Amino acid sequence: MESRQTSNASANRLQFLVGEERGLRDVISEAEVLPLLRGAVRAGAFAAALADAEGKVLWSHAAPDAGEQGGSAGLRGPAILLEGEPVGSVLVKGEQGREEFLKGIAVMLTAAVNLLVGSNLKRMLTTEIHTTVVNQSYEELLETNRKLAASEARYRELAESLEIKVEERTAELKKALARLLQQEKLASVGQLAAGIAHEINNPMGFVTSNIHTMQKYLARFVEMLQFSRDLVAGAPGEAERERFAGKWRQLKLDMVLADVDELVSQSLGGAERVKKIVADLKGFSHIDDLGETVADLNAELDRTLAVLVHEIPPGAEIVREYGTLPGFSCRAGELCQVFLNIIVNACQARNAGLRIVIRTELSGDAIVIAFTDNGPGIPQEFLPRVFEPFFTTRPVGQGMGMGLAVVYDVVTAHGGTVEAGNSPEGGASFVVRLPLSSA
Amino acid sequence: MIEYDAEQKRMVLKLVYYGPAMSGKTTNLLKLHDLITQEGRGDLMVLDTTDDRTIFFDLLPFFLVAPSGLKIKVKVYTVPGQVRHDATRKAVLQRADGVVFVADSQLAEAANNFESFDNLEKNLAFVGIDIEKVPLVVQFNKRDLKNVASEEEIARVWGPTGVPVTTASALEGWGVVETFTKLLELTYAAIDRKYRLLEEHGLDGASFVRQMTNVGER
Ligand SMILES: Nc1nc2c(ncn2[C@@H]2O[C@H](COP(=O)(O)OP(=O)(O)O)[C@@H](O)[C@H]2O)c(=O)[nH]1
Ligand SMILES: [Mg+2]
Repeated sequence: MESRQTSNASANRLQFLVGEERGLRDVISEAEVLPLLRGAVRAGAFAAALADAEGKVLWSHAAPDAGEQGGSAGLRGPAILLEGEPVGSVLVKGEQGREEFLKGIAVMLTAAVNLLVGSNLKRMLTTEIHTTVVNQSYEELLETNRKLAASEARYRELAESLEIKVEERTAELKKALARLLQQEKLASVGQLAAGIAHEINNPMGFVTSNIHTMQKYLARFVEMLQFSRDLVAGAPGEAERERFAGKWRQLKLDMVLADVDELVSQSLGGAERVKKIVADLKGFSHIDDLGETVADLNAELDRTLAVLVHEIPPGAEIVREYGTLPGFSCRAGELCQVFLNIIVNACQARNAGLRIVIRTELSGDAIVIAFTDNGPGIPQEFLPRVFEPFFTTRPVGQGMGMGLAVVYDVVTAHGGTVEAGNSPEGGASFVVRLPLSSA
Repeated sequence: MIEYDAEQKRMVLKLVYYGPAMSGKTTNLLKLHDLITQEGRGDLMVLDTTDDRTIFFDLLPFFLVAPSGLKIKVKVYTVPGQVRHDATRKAVLQRADGVVFVADSQLAEAANNFESFDNLEKNLAFVGIDIEKVPLVVQFNKRDLKNVASEEEIARVWGPTGVPVTTASALEGWGVVETFTKLLELTYAAIDRKYRLLEEHGLDGASFVRQMTNVGER
């Protein structure tokens, strides 16, 4: 009976509910949306805006000279959904006659806003339940405290352990929160990138196919031009021949004809490259995988390196000493994140002459992946702390010091271990060991 | 219980999938998400389940509009089953308008089912919900496995309580929509009494259920 009363008392004090209703403006902010709108304008729209369900514009961005350009009527994207409810849409304005293009932009912008809404909502829900649970635990602690007061002797004894518990709890919560923040951030950045990559595929499809068609048409133009030239060359009438040749020179058609093929094939090459980047990005984020898959970790390392090309300092040497590995059942996207964090870390070890060796092998019943760089190594006193959240020796602004903490978490969650050390030559080394059995 | 705002013409319902750890609650929502194709079905949010976190439940939202213009949002949650996440369970259970209890049919799980149902009773009382009145459906899941409690045994235990019981294999995808439908029917009946959904908003039980469970051709 007594415990029932206690429970009710603390239920009354509970202030947070899970799943509070939210509108569009509660979920996303101007600071998050404006860059997306600016992106749309940079991509070629005159103006872009986000409106709520009633059509009222919440935020907008226009090109500086949009006023003079006039342009098309506003084009509305598909509905933005918040928990299934249509809560707004994007509006895009642009050049008259380019509706298809503007529609593409509107669709892309909508996808980006939807992703933002989804990941923010998830983050809010996580924080919300966290707050609720923490509050409740706090109430429970108070309750314990009150009971303790009843018996002075027991109180003394228990209060000590309670204090330790509170300390432990606080440290634990701090760690959990830090990890959560980082994971959410990684997840949402990855999702956003992958989502946009996905959306880029569609327009890229028609761009590529149109260029192919244009290539065919161009060949016909070229043929017709040459045909006319031959025809005119043989025709009587000196004056006409001279006019034709003059116009030919004025339009620099010799140069154009020599160049046009090259231009088109270069554009096709560029389109192919975009497709490849998108494929790399999607592969890396494993956006299409749910849960565990069987992965070839050598291929995952290659994928990660492909995504990282621009982070690796010029002139750096990456040595891949891959052994033969069996398929490994894992959450591959998370492991890619591990590889990425370790490699990015190594890239910052030294500026010129950087060399990173990545060795993989099957050792007993575990896959071992060793990353060694030729930087200055890790000072002995830091070795025990490198995997702690927020531990960083780099200046403020260069990362939160979360990269290696995430490495530790992910590897541990896969039943593996990761060790930081220094190679005999002096550089830092990270050895990830993933047992085949536990996966 | 229910959140109702006459001025804004909005209503928010909360349905909760309760049960022991690993009984198939998340799988139920995953299947509902896959099977139901109605336009207002939102995305499933799985708040992740790595082992040492205090913070997980799943959420599948739905949205529909009654003929009167009343906007109805239905949020379907799962709770974490592990004993140590009781605080999360209480928080999610607060203000619930309906509950599905997902039991694991395997004989070896009988004790866990019992313990979890006991915990449901306690926590409903804790958050001030009368277990006799709240719409409640019990689902016996994992019927595809061997060594499961027989239907006769289930009927013998649950028959006298009057609580509706469904059987399902969330893994294979059957019984899931049926369980959800049953809960929606009970929930509709409970709120119609109070909010006159039919008289004032022109929404009858059958079309509420139909709109929520529009199962696509697949
Ligand atoms: N054989 C079988 N397995 C199931 C069924 N439903 C769920 N599972 C499995 O049981 C495990 C736990 O399911 P999950 O939905 O995560 O349980 P939760 O903890 O209640 O959310 C998973 O491995 C599921 O694949 C079912 O109907 N039959
Ligand atoms: Mg679950």
